[in-house]
Amino acid sequence: MRFNKKDYTQLETALIKAYREKEKPQVSEQWEMNVMQHIRSLGAFPFKTSPFKLFEQFGWRFAPAVCVLIVLLTFWMVKLDFAPEDEMAIFSIEHPIEASYVEMPGL
Amino acid sequence: MPAHTTFVDDHDIVRQVIAGDINAFGFLVQKYQGHILAVVGNHIPHNQAEEIAHDVFVKAYQSLLTFKFKGGFKQWLSAIAVRTCYNFWRKEYRSREIPMSSCSEEDRVCLERVMASQSNQITSEKNLQKEAGELLGRAMDRLSPEDRIVLEMVYLEGLSIKEAAGFLGWSVANVKIRIFRSRKKLRKILTGFLED
Repeated sequence: MRFNKKDYTQLETALIKAYREKEKPQVSEQWEMNVMQHIRSLGAFPFKTSPFKLFEQFGWRFAPAVCVLIVLLTFWMVKLDFAPEDEMAIFSIEHPIEASYVEMPGL
Repeated sequence: MPAHTTFVDDHDIVRQVIAGDINAFGFLVQKYQGHILAVVGNHIPHNQAEEIAHDVFVKAYQSLLTFKFKGGFKQWLSAIAVRTCYNFWRKEYRSREIPMSSCSEEDRVCLERVMASQSNQITSEKNLQKEAGELLGRAMDRLSPEDRIVLEMVYLEGLSIKEAAGFLGWSVANVKIRIFRSRKKLRKILTGFLED
């Protein structure tokens, strides 16, 4: 069996109608009390919000700015031609006495 | 009652809650429980609707400080409800074990019954609706949560693309593309039920 356009349109209409006219769910009498009980257990405002929750709510807002910053910093690093290994090698060649193992890590 | 007055009333209640009067939130729960249940009932199986509606009000309370007093509370609450339903399906899809691609004999029979019911005048309207609802549920189960929620809101409920985008917090372009693709997918799924 295959669909033709008319069949499919009819089927679509039936599906949309079924969706729109389906029964609405009902809640028990206890439901509203349970909701308010849960809300009271959270405490009144201003309540302490966990840092994770705050990050979830607001952290993502900074995501585009962070991405731009990463790109800019990467570009800057590439342009600077900064490579720590090379810098250390140059330093140890130019200043062999000062460049001891103790000085290297900056101690 | 004019919408403006409702806005003001809701805004006053929200201010009271933020000021520390938890019980005032009860008025909002009472006022909007029917609406939220209707929204949730459109997207979630009825046996889960009570629990999800509960979560919606708890999330609304927890996020009350983010409510901007420019728009209506009802719309803000509806957006929380839609996103909660979307998250429900995302979790559900992660833990599901049914293979998405396979179409069972049952699916094919279900579709044929709907097609037959449509052409058969004797079949009761209620019966046709029941069969169609069941078929739709089976087809929707094979869509991704994103496709499912967009399809339900725009195609089945008849919301505008802009409204759906507002509720979901997505861009209008994203919703447009998603609705186009998901309609195609739904058609493919329904056709697949017949051809398999």
